Amino acid sequence: MSEHKIDLTVNGHRHSATVEARTSLGEFLREGLGYTGTHLACEHGVCGACTVRVDGVAMRSCLMLAVQANGSEITTVEGLAKPDGTLHRVQQALKDNFGLQCGFCTPGVAITLATVLEDNPSATTEEMETAMSGHICRCTGYQGIRRAIRQLAGEAA
Amino acid sequence: MKPAPFDYARPTNVAEACQILAEAGGGATVIAGGQTLMPLLNLRMSQPFILVDINGIADLKGVSRIDGGTRVGPATRQAEALRDSTLAQHLPALVTALGHVGHYQTRNRGTVGGSVSLGEPAAEMPAAAVALGASIEITSAQGTRMVKAEDFYIGPYMTVLEPEDLVTGIVYPDWPDGHVVLFREVAQRTGDFALVGMVGALVLEGGKVARAGIAWFGMGPTPIKARQAEAALIGKALAEIDPDAVAALAVADTAPFDDHHASAEYRRTVGKRIFARTLREALDLRSAA
Amino acid sequence: MNYHASSVGATRYVGERTPRKEDGRLLTGRGQFTDDIQLPGMLHIAFVRSPVARGRIVSIDMGVAREMPGVQAIYTQADLAAIPVQMLSFFFTPIESPVTLLADGRVACVGDPVCMVIAESRAQAEDAAALIELEIDEETPLVTIADAKTGALVHPDKDDNIAAEMGDEDMLEEAIQPLLDKAPHVVTHTIRHQRIAQSPMECRACVASPEGSGEMTVWMGCQSPHLAARYVAHALGMPQESIRVIAKDVGGGFGLKNIPWREEVAVVVAARLFGRPLKWIEDRFEALTASSHAREQEVTLTIGLDDEGKLLAGWSDYACNNGAWPMGEDANIAVHMFMWPAYKLPAYGFVTRGWYTNTMGLGGYRGPWAMESLIRETTLDKAARKMGVDPVELRRKNLIYLPDQPVTSNMGIEVTDITPGECLEKLVANVDIAAFRREQAEARKEGRYLGMGIATYIEPTGSAGAMQPMTGETVQLRIEPTGKIVAMLSTHSQGHGTATTMAQVIADRLGVAYEDISIFEGDSAIGAFSPGAAGSRQGVIAGGATWKATEMLAEKVKAVAAHLSNASVDAVTIDGGMVHVEGAPEMSRSLKELAEIAYGEPARLPEGMASGLEAQFRYQPPPMTMTSAAHCCVVEVDAETGFVKILRWVSAEDCGTVINPGVVEGQIAGGLAQAIGQVLLEDMPYDARGNPLAATFKDYLMPTISDVPDFEYLHANTPSQTIGGMRGVGEGGAIIGPPTLVNAIADALAPFGELGGEAGEVTLPLTPSRILDVIEQRNVSGHQAPAEKAVAAPVAEEVPAETVAVSPETEPAPATASIDGDWDMTLKAPMGGQTFLAHFDTEGTSLSGYLSAPEGRQEFSGGTFEDGRMKFEVKVDKPMKVTLKYDLQATADSITGKCKMGMFGTAKVNAVRA
Repeated sequence: MSEHKIDLTVNGHRHSATVEARTSLGEFLREGLGYTGTHLACEHGVCGACTVRVDGVAMRSCLMLAVQANGSEITTVEGLAKPDGTLHRVQQALKDNFGLQCGFCTPGVAITLATVLEDNPSATTEEMETAMSGHICRCTGYQGIRRAIRQLAGEAA
Repeated sequence: MKPAPFDYARPTNVAEACQILAEAGGGATVIAGGQTLMPLLNLRMSQPFILVDINGIADLKGVSRIDGGTRVGPATRQAEALRDSTLAQHLPALVTALGHVGHYQTRNRGTVGGSVSLGEPAAEMPAAAVALGASIEITSAQGTRMVKAEDFYIGPYMTVLEPEDLVTGIVYPDWPDGHVVLFREVAQRTGDFALVGMVGALVLEGGKVARAGIAWFGMGPTPIKARQAEAALIGKALAEIDPDAVAALAVADTAPFDDHHASAEYRRTVGKRIFARTLREALDLRSAA
Repeated sequence: MNYHASSVGATRYVGERTPRKEDGRLLTGRGQFTDDIQLPGMLHIAFVRSPVARGRIVSIDMGVAREMPGVQAIYTQADLAAIPVQMLSFFFTPIESPVTLLADGRVACVGDPVCMVIAESRAQAEDAAALIELEIDEETPLVTIADAKTGALVHPDKDDNIAAEMGDEDMLEEAIQPLLDKAPHVVTHTIRHQRIAQSPMECRACVASPEGSGEMTVWMGCQSPHLAARYVAHALGMPQESIRVIAKDVGGGFGLKNIPWREEVAVVVAARLFGRPLKWIEDRFEALTASSHAREQEVTLTIGLDDEGKLLAGWSDYACNNGAWPMGEDANIAVHMFMWPAYKLPAYGFVTRGWYTNTMGLGGYRGPWAMESLIRETTLDKAARKMGVDPVELRRKNLIYLPDQPVTSNMGIEVTDITPGECLEKLVANVDIAAFRREQAEARKEGRYLGMGIATYIEPTGSAGAMQPMTGETVQLRIEPTGKIVAMLSTHSQGHGTATTMAQVIADRLGVAYEDISIFEGDSAIGAFSPGAAGSRQGVIAGGATWKATEMLAEKVKAVAAHLSNASVDAVTIDGGMVHVEGAPEMSRSLKELAEIAYGEPARLPEGMASGLEAQFRYQPPPMTMTSAAHCCVVEVDAETGFVKILRWVSAEDCGTVINPGVVEGQIAGGLAQAIGQVLLEDMPYDARGNPLAATFKDYLMPTISDVPDFEYLHANTPSQTIGGMRGVGEGGAIIGPPTLVNAIADALAPFGELGGEAGEVTLPLTPSRILDVIEQRNVSGHQAPAEKAVAAPVAEEVPAETVAVSPETEPAPATASIDGDWDMTLKAPMGGQTFLAHFDTEGTSLSGYLSAPEGRQEFSGGTFEDGRMKFEVKVDKPMKVTLKYDLQATADSITGKCKMGMFGTAKVNAVRA
């Protein structure tokens, strides 16, 4: 068992910490830094709830160790809205279209869609739906999420 | 669902990595993208004493042209490989297969080498390596050796890799421009491992099949090379090829299993169909051209 | 009731797609889920679970584990037993199995919790748990229902493996078979439903913090903090006030979190014993393999029809796997109660049983009785195919329409305002079936197989007053001196959006801005008792309570305003937070001004009026409110691979007044997605050794966005008889979804043969392999129906194997003994056993007496006693109006027999001398 000092930036805030090698990035964000918006729902990389953005790329925070995030810039769901509270357009689209119910899978969904749009602001419905297939939502039957995607792609929701 | 404790090392070059692996005496596990390994760690199905993270080794990343082929660094992210222009030009079958590996989020972290070296029998990358005739470059403190992909896999999640070995490259031989890409996968949901799938390439010269490399995934304990089908195709003119007969030969090389997602008989039945259909569509397209 | 006719303000909120109040915090990562709770000194729990399905615990070696870093304590059942616990069902009746928090000497399923490790982190707790050595003397497990019928007793102290049993076997021969024999068309159909893991995205979770002397604050992923608090208080014998349960945000429940179960209660008990805050967060491996499961059941339905397609009689035989430790023994009587109220079926009988096995216990899941719709609607379609009639026409001949009502179903349920027929007509008017049939015919010529499935149903919702804990809702409401509105509700949302819909009702009924309303819920210290999200009830009952409380408050506002303005109450209106007096615009005041007067200057209020602007109302709705629907889906089956693609899905539902279409459609859609999972993807199989085989989400396949089509909605909006006119809509999608989809697949496959073969045995899920069985007309899937399967060899062990499929009839005894006097009588009722004192007096062949229990005493007379056979009737009002018809056989010291309980079927009766 080894412990490691890491420095990383989360939602623009710099953090230093000592982490056990086995601690996942998701667990560290939640327990170590208090970013509890990231949810761990399967811890084996299937459900997508824990998805965060690491150095501009969306990935599962349960499938990455905190020690591997040393030096990284991370965005969690807490970092999507503007400091004045204005929702990110992905968050707004999900709200407009009843794209969430219990809200447990939502942080990962929002990070994925925001990252797809970050890479390509004119991403198509199909591109967003394909990325969305890496998430499981047990509540909504994906109807509101799909409408939100259409809204984000500039189509009629 | 927390991993058992382990030490962690992040070497910056291959020699350092191999030294750590050698010193660990079998207690080390290599982590690249971790998209298959991390679930095994979290479930405590894998309990190494030390995890050797190769993400800091620059030499293990990227795609390069070598004499007669293309070398893919094992730590190259799947998403990067999917966008790589060299691969798109020389190994379109590999790129097609990559598009079916996991999901957007896992391809962003997962590596080509991780998927190739873990040897999930229903995964796309091991089968593509077998089909395309790739060789796996393996390095240890003792030196470097090359193993053909078809000899690399010995069982589900079992390969010829020894505990002190590190995969340092996957070398795919060139397939000439304009070769035929074969790919089809039947999976229950987007991004799932295949119930049954096939991947391959054909080279046509003078209206005849000059070279063939085809492999199954999800059809046995390892990726399975469709040897009889390849042999039956080589030297045949397009018009002489009976896709159904070739598909039957291809299935004859498989050893599928039952699980609660699909029966062995399903895999054989549907495998034969998708093989024949894929072959027929590819050849029809080529005949029409 | 028409809410438009009595509108208060000009701005409508009821019926609008108002954005949800919950979304702001949930979208920005600021919800509060149980795992987000961190307390000073909090320790973490991991359970050690049985790796074998059945056996005697020989030893537990904790020596090494205790020395592990961070370990504070390791408990076994011997430790937890220091605090006595009586586990209860959802109905607050005692669990009949000998369930304990941790295994007590024996393990009865894989995943059975055996030890609890308390450590400074979850990882450390798991490190220690991995080092605890369990030695278990393993026995051959019973896995399937078929195993349970012939195998050794799961619970050695029980008489048999029947966990619960209802119905009247004699009725088949006496009443139903003669009708079936005369029917020109008889159709039999069997469905074997796989086991489902409910899989809310947030696994179960509990944090228990002991405070003060004997008090406890508990954060728990639950469906009602009030119910959870009452449950824990009852189970532990504590005053309810000593437990406060908080559940601000819960990541889905779907019935799994109806009641706290072994692990949650164990955390509470351990926290009391250890005196420190403890946290247990179930991981996904535990959730899939060791949370209660649902749905594993088999049913065969036979119906007889006349030449016109009218139903004549029906008989069904139903069995469900209760596992070892069900959250309440269950024969699923509701399947039979709700199979036919939407249809005209003159005669129906059934037997229904729940069986103990060595698998994880049965828990709740959205629409627990949903099999009634699945078996009925698929059998009707099969009949339609057999008879060559249109499935819509067949339903039209038998469905109940509004003009047919009131009518009483064959199980004694009175229906007065259901609209299944009307929903079907609305559906058919909006789906061009003829055009589809042409398209289908054309497609078949091209080797493409399209299918259309239609299903109709009714659903009981908003149950209240008939049984514990289903009851009314209390709403407390006030206009603060600031003019803002605060409501305290006993509702709970695991995604239901109750804060949104209740605020809409308040805004609509009071005439204030939605944004000015704050809703507080999700805490047993807020509001009064309610079972929360269970049985599709919150929109109906909390909606009605909020509706009425708001109108009471509006009346008070008007009375104050009228008094201050010296105007008539009728002249006062409230709109946009302003109170206006007709014809006197200068008299308009804001709610803030009125509230300041009402709280601060009570002397200005009408004489005798209480100060402040507050209202409280507890709504007790009608005992049951029915929702109806008809759905249609279109699929294409790929004949090459057996894959099913859903092309279209149309829902025509009638949930009465729709408060928020976005919320209502969200409930329907969520249920339909789960239905798609059930029919095509999800499965939690066990191997012959009792190992669950889908231990990760790689193997337990839930629908993703690419598996679910766009749903289309038609709302019928027939107001119910409740305040506000709402009908429940939480479970419907999960109930009507499966038959709609199965019917569509069967229609697509019709050119090849019957789904399930000529024997008519359909096994879910319809995997591609099983679809190919039909297309190829051979055994591609390798699936053999359990009936054909070789029964597991009887186990050689001390518990004698016993055949229990049919309970042995008691030999008629010489009937000379007197039965006069007191007897201790037990009635095995659907919601658990009931024990009471029976007193009999005989005079010749006439029999009278009384039945006495703490809840009351019922006298009876007019019974008969001949040759030891006792027949008498007792009328009861609770839980429902029903006449209990006893038919018993007496000997000198024992009485056995049956009691027919109207819609509840038949229960076994035993009595011994008191």
